[in-house]
Amino acid sequence: MARYKGPRGAAGWALGLTGALTAACFAAATRGGRMARHPATPPRASEPPPSPEKATLAARRLNRSAGTLAASVLFDSAVEHYRGDFENRAMYTPIVTSALALAVSAHGTFDKSPAAHKIRDGVYLLTGVVGLIGTGFHVWNVVQKPGRFIWQNLFYGAPLGAPMAIGLSGLLGFFSERVRDTPIGQTPRLFGLPAGRVIGAVSGAGMVGTTAEAGLLHFRGSFHDPFMALPVTMPPAAAAALTNASLGAARTDRRLTRWWLRATAIMGVSGTVFHAIGVGRDMDGWRNIQQNLLNGPPIPAPPAFTGLALAGLAALDLMEDDSDV
Amino acid sequence: MSDNPLHTPRALNGRAPDVFRKGAWVPMREYSQNEAVDFVVIGTGAGGGPLIARLAEMGYSVIGFDAGAYFRPLEDFASDETSQSQLYWTDERLIDGANPIKMGSNNSGKAVGGSTVHFAMVSLRFRPEWFQSRTKLGYAVDWPLDWREMWRYYDKAERDLAIAGPISYPWGPKRPRYPYRAHEIGGAAEWLARGAEAMGYQWSETPLATVSAPRGDSPSCVYRGFCRVGCSTNAKQSQLVTYIPRALKAGAEIRDLAMVGRIETNAQGLATGVHYHREGQWHFQRAKQVIVAGYAIETPRLLLNSATDRFPDGLANRSGYLGRNLMVQSNQAVYGRMKEMVRWNKGPPSLTITEHWNYEDKKDFFGGYCWMAQGPLPLEWSAAVSSSRGLWGEALRQKMMDYNHQVGLKMVGEMLPSMENRVTLAEEKDQYGLPITRITYGWQDNDKTMIQHALGEMQRSLELVGAQDIWRQENDTNHLAGTARMGFSAESSVVDADCRSWDVPNLWICDGSIFPTTGGVNPSLTITAIALRTADRIQTLHRQGKITL
Repeated sequence: MARYKGPRGAAGWALGLTGALTAACFAAATRGGRMARHPATPPRASEPPPSPEKATLAARRLNRSAGTLAASVLFDSAVEHYRGDFENRAMYTPIVTSALALAVSAHGTFDKSPAAHKIRDGVYLLTGVVGLIGTGFHVWNVVQKPGRFIWQNLFYGAPLGAPMAIGLSGLLGFFSERVRDTPIGQTPRLFGLPAGRVIGAVSGAGMVGTTAEAGLLHFRGSFHDPFMALPVTMPPAAAAALTNASLGAARTDRRLTRWWLRATAIMGVSGTVFHAIGVGRDMDGWRNIQQNLLNGPPIPAPPAFTGLALAGLAALDLMEDDSDV
Repeated sequence: MSDNPLHTPRALNGRAPDVFRKGAWVPMREYSQNEAVDFVVIGTGAGGGPLIARLAEMGYSVIGFDAGAYFRPLEDFASDETSQSQLYWTDERLIDGANPIKMGSNNSGKAVGGSTVHFAMVSLRFRPEWFQSRTKLGYAVDWPLDWREMWRYYDKAERDLAIAGPISYPWGPKRPRYPYRAHEIGGAAEWLARGAEAMGYQWSETPLATVSAPRGDSPSCVYRGFCRVGCSTNAKQSQLVTYIPRALKAGAEIRDLAMVGRIETNAQGLATGVHYHREGQWHFQRAKQVIVAGYAIETPRLLLNSATDRFPDGLANRSGYLGRNLMVQSNQAVYGRMKEMVRWNKGPPSLTITEHWNYEDKKDFFGGYCWMAQGPLPLEWSAAVSSSRGLWGEALRQKMMDYNHQVGLKMVGEMLPSMENRVTLAEEKDQYGLPITRITYGWQDNDKTMIQHALGEMQRSLELVGAQDIWRQENDTNHLAGTARMGFSAESSVVDADCRSWDVPNLWICDGSIFPTTGGVNPSLTITAIALRTADRIQTLHRQGKITL
């Protein structure tokens, strides 16, 4: 058993600093458009024509974010559904679809072609639908338990928010294909709206949902380690900044938002390390991997934040590339 | 030197076992026998543990004595029911009366940490009205304690023990959120919940003293299910892993395998120290104040055995109440078999509870009861089946095949005090040469009515969820209380509200024996809350010059 007793010394200071920065980011986001470093929008006449290379680059970045989410879901659902003994055969579904989504995302990330790919498109669409159906299954599991939507069942029943992680992966992948499909000379659009803004808003909403899930489970763990507060403070600040950007002026250099999204992406990845420490704190730690990997904090879960932060960064690219008014 | 904790003391030579690390030690302050320490505390369980820790943290010199062993849970606790009976107080005692009490597993412990080393971790608060059961509910006697003050000490006890409980508790006045979240409920617990819902009663996760997330050196509970024979992971927040380590850190000394046989008093009628047996011989430790926390059998035994010419009926017994009003709690059960796999031994045994009949007063008996889900280990279960149903041989073997499909509900019910239920000294002597106790117990009509009511209710709950092969276990009791009642006057009680003896001003009693009534919930949290209050009161009285140190 690890003798970790919470942040001390440098770790404690780092946590304090991160907390202070989170508060600052929140404050800045709520102050509206003033987060923009260069709010001036160039007149339309002088604007260069939309570049298909930039659209493809943004699409590839979206593939990367969809892949990150898919990887997180692949390993997380594999561990959790194995823990649930695959009691229902449908529990294999997210493993298959997230593996497919991961594969096509890897393909998309390296594919420089400026046109959507039919198989990728199909897989992403399927993945999105599986996310919705999975949510239905998880709700069904919870309502079967005595007390239905009580804390006990929200904590320990099938996690209601989890299937939407794979849903978001599919949605972002689907968006990626649309952005890639942007006709030459046009700015990327989704459902008739500027793509950057839509993806920014969706990523922000995804971050809020993921925060809710992390918050619920960290509350279940009684926030016994102060670091457990990071995923319920940093991502909402990032979501606020991203939403602020999605609603604000285009062609704006949003340096703070960008850095905050990068920090959130790093937090997501580093969450795996914290969760690994958590596994080490359970009885017999890593020597008892068979039990603690299943019952300790889920190691593959935190990078879901990374996936969403990367999508947010891709959205910022799109917003900064083009004037979309 | 032998490292058998049952034979050789471990807290010696300036060190005590580090319960969190195999083979490791923590430094321990030691006091000379000739030095009159501020406090000697006899017993290190739910009452003694918090007192030793708090008094040491307040800067007093304190020695905690325990007749039991200083176990190292990570090394000494086997996943074996028989071997773990080493935790129970099974020294010889005579039992008689109309309903003799079975002593041992579910009512007394012999270890540093006391019975909390093997208790079921159920940490419930009294219903406020029970502190005034005579005035508010019309039976037994009132306590000299105010429930609102107790509510504050319950808060403190729950924080100190990191109780894992529900977000909101359905019964009683508002209480702060439990420090840790409730555990995931298991198969048997879920059937209690479904039964309660079918009956229209509220149910809740049971607040338990085992952590649902890591706490310091305690890992989160792994749902091993051996809670009542000693937790080998330290997830259980027993005194052994909570207040005792705190006490050592604050400079208290613990003497394990040290049986206190007599409290010495001087010509002025004040306690001067204790005679104790350790390492094969009797010793004497001088002390300015003596606190007895040996639970409802050993506490009166020690005080009765400390009789002198001045106190011929035993210490603190001017009222004649010492040893009387012994109370157990009714612990009857109803069992059944489900078609579905239940695996009731997984996780703590009492994960869900309904306190419906503790808070509902429309009934034809006094007092209240709750019931909780059950998860007996195989040996305990086979003993229950063979003794209550008379099954043996092939029939018993067949019945045991249903183990993973069994469900059960077990009550904890309030038995009323009676002067006839009592602890006295017998002629016979034990291994220390001390007179053993005679424990006389009989159920009263009210107790019997309540038991039948509870059995009927629990049976209905199981029937409503479709359990088959339902049967009743009618003979079990658990927990102890009474025998050194707390009260308002020296004539009708042994100690005052501060747990201070009316007769010997530097003698205190702080354990379950001071309970005037026992309530319909497990007693440990109330004992701990009272101990925390007593520590604060001692400090206040000392500051006011009402205690000489």
